[in-house]
Amino acid sequence: MYSLQGIGKSFGGIDVLKDISLTLKPGQRLGITGANGVGKSTLINIATGFLKPDSGYIQLNQKTLTHQPAWAFAQAGIQRTFQNTRFLTSATLGEQLLLAARAPASKRRVAKLIELSGLRASLHLFPDEIPLPVLRKAEVIRGLAASPEVLFLDEPSAGLTASELEQFGLFLQQFLGQKTALVVVEHRVDFMDMVTDSVVQMQHNRGLVERGVDVKT
Amino acid sequence: MDMLQTSIDGLMVGSTYALLGLSFALVFGILRRINLAFGACLLFGASVAIYLEPILGWGAWGLFLVTIVGVALASVYVERLCFAPHSKRHGAVTAMVASFAVWMQLDEISSQLLPQRTHAFQGIEMPNFWWGEIFVRGDQLLHFVIALVSIVVLYLLLYKTRLGLLIRATADSPETAHLLGARVPWLGFIIFLLAGILGGLAAFMILSADGYVTPLFGLWSTFKGLIAMIIGGVGSLMGAVIGGLILGLVETHAGAVLGAEFRDMVTFGMVFLVLIIRPGGLMGVKIYRTDTLAQERV
Amino acid sequence: MDIYLASVLTNMTLIAFLALSAYLVLVVGEVSFGQQAFFGIGAYITASATALAGAHIFWGLLAGAIGGASCALLLGLLTIRLSGLYFAISTLCFAELLRFFLLQLRFTQSIDGRVIGPDGPEGFSNIRWIFENHYEVADFLILAVTCLIILLIGLFSLERSPIMLGARMVGNDPILAQSQGLSPTRYRLSFIALSGAVAGFGGGLFALFNTHIEPAMFGVMLGLHGLAYAVIGGLGSVIGPLLGVFLDIGLLESIRPLAAYRMIIFGGLVALLLVFRPEGIISPRLVSRLKSLWRNRHV
Repeated sequence: MYSLQGIGKSFGGIDVLKDISLTLKPGQRLGITGANGVGKSTLINIATGFLKPDSGYIQLNQKTLTHQPAWAFAQAGIQRTFQNTRFLTSATLGEQLLLAARAPASKRRVAKLIELSGLRASLHLFPDEIPLPVLRKAEVIRGLAASPEVLFLDEPSAGLTASELEQFGLFLQQFLGQKTALVVVEHRVDFMDMVTDSVVQMQHNRGLVERGVDVKT
Repeated sequence: MDMLQTSIDGLMVGSTYALLGLSFALVFGILRRINLAFGACLLFGASVAIYLEPILGWGAWGLFLVTIVGVALASVYVERLCFAPHSKRHGAVTAMVASFAVWMQLDEISSQLLPQRTHAFQGIEMPNFWWGEIFVRGDQLLHFVIALVSIVVLYLLLYKTRLGLLIRATADSPETAHLLGARVPWLGFIIFLLAGILGGLAAFMILSADGYVTPLFGLWSTFKGLIAMIIGGVGSLMGAVIGGLILGLVETHAGAVLGAEFRDMVTFGMVFLVLIIRPGGLMGVKIYRTDTLAQERV
Repeated sequence: MDIYLASVLTNMTLIAFLALSAYLVLVVGEVSFGQQAFFGIGAYITASATALAGAHIFWGLLAGAIGGASCALLLGLLTIRLSGLYFAISTLCFAELLRFFLLQLRFTQSIDGRVIGPDGPEGFSNIRWIFENHYEVADFLILAVTCLIILLIGLFSLERSPIMLGARMVGNDPILAQSQGLSPTRYRLSFIALSGAVAGFGGGLFALFNTHIEPAMFGVMLGLHGLAYAVIGGLGSVIGPLLGVFLDIGLLESIRPLAAYRMIIFGGLVALLLVFRPEGIISPRLVSRLKSLWRNRHV
């Protein structure tokens, strides 16, 4: 239901992405790994509408989103987290999560998630007063508020210890929901094995390949 | 021939605008800040110079020296009070408003020093001459030469010295420069000092060419500097110079053809069009910075 | 009430409109040097409506607000790709161009033996609404304050709604805003237009109070003052700009003995204040903190 086809992107004459394709079914859990600089960030940015591809198209449930602004992607149900968790510094966590939940159903969902993941104690704090593991969870909750079609996680392991990461993985497993597809862009393979069904590897000039396939440099 | 005369006049006045634009371009290009107190610093320097003139009795060269020193001092004061405390990325607006407050302050001080509406500003006595059918004012020619020399000196400073390299590196990427050992904190001080010196030069040239100074000079020169910088391409030093010259040319021609009233309108209209059509100015400065995440505007 | 005091308070109220309009633009993350233009347009429109067309004050002020909003919207559309310094300078140019337009505007009529209507640089005199309706200074003060209060009630409910937080998000981090499904462009245009309406309305009141307006009154300094009040008072709440207005005009009027050195002291004090309170006195964080302390007061 979500598909990326033939995506190409080059910067200053250098092809960062060439003919990348990806299809996601509801509830699918996919991991994307790859070396630094291979284009993972570019791919996430394009997949979530923050960067426009030079070629190819993006579709969600038959609707073409390719050249829509990023906010249209978000409204259509494509959510993401950021490598450096993005929150306003001048509003409390509670206020910001509240903003993400506009419909009453979303509000209930967010409230439940907050309770179950023990975030209630942090609601009145500002993001810069909150430890990173909690913020990462909060970012996911924010992303899940409107019951998205797809949730992209951008390097969620950055800055987390092994045990915090495991905690985060358990949190994802518990709260993700059946309908939402998940794409984790990461380099910590153990974490990805925990939360995803399959992992593909992004390789320079070869696109997304099944893991375990011969890697040629 | 008339057009040539107007053009020559335009270039003369444009060279002073170039210096004004350079001052703004230095501060914005390297520090990403707008100093609204700039014009007020110029007015302050000129006011101090006129005030001290009877006491020092050094004549026009005394005005020259004191103006530059006065402007430089005011500039550094502004930097310390308004810009150094707000050097983080999001501090831009706060710093600007703080500089606006100091603009008011300096303007008031200048009014105290020069209570009358206009004051005479003595220029350097230079012979005027004819170059074919073109009339050239000797003092304006001198100013043009001084402006040229200053620009060359600035260029040498920025591109041929280690200090200049540090400055340019910091402009591109403060974090990297810091890692490389550039002591970033005093950078603001140096830049504002340079901008002040250039501004002081420009102030002296403009005021001595006009022969008088009024309280409106501060606002006026702030406008000119900003506009010169925008036309040429914000932050680009070469752009500011070219922008200043073009501003001088357009303004002088517009004034000759349409009269003084419409002259300013043409100037603002031109800047507005530049911003809407080609915000990067003549040099095509990129106003969008490619971030790792997405296209973030500068 | 002492006429002098009433005048000062009325001026504060009128400038408050300008400061609030600057605030609305700051909230979406932009700086405008041009709000005085919308103030001026509002002034001319309201003056024309009441003095030339004999309209009721309500329609006159409404027309001023709509005029301000339209001009602001036009500016917003023209500058849709711009932000930061570029946007700020273009607002300045736009404002000056509008002022030049007003300098050229001449449309006078003779009514009851008086020359009424915009007359280029001479301005627009004989805006006689307050005389015809027998408004003393104190009466007009009540009118102006009432209007301001109504506006504040509207803005307060805006503050409490997700719209304002969305606007702040657009202002602080447009990328985050987009990821939350908010269109930065729509928020910008809406708030810019709203700021134009507020400034236009204030300008209309100004025209009625002053009975004479001219283009020179709507120069860049006026707008810069409004901007400064918003920044100094703080961007955390609509009270911020009001506080800024009060601090300058209110407090400083009281330091009459030091009148000559007023700006020297005040200018330095403001810069100093900003060193310690960069986001203004009533900063967004302060407001957020107070709000959650209030909410959790029983915990």
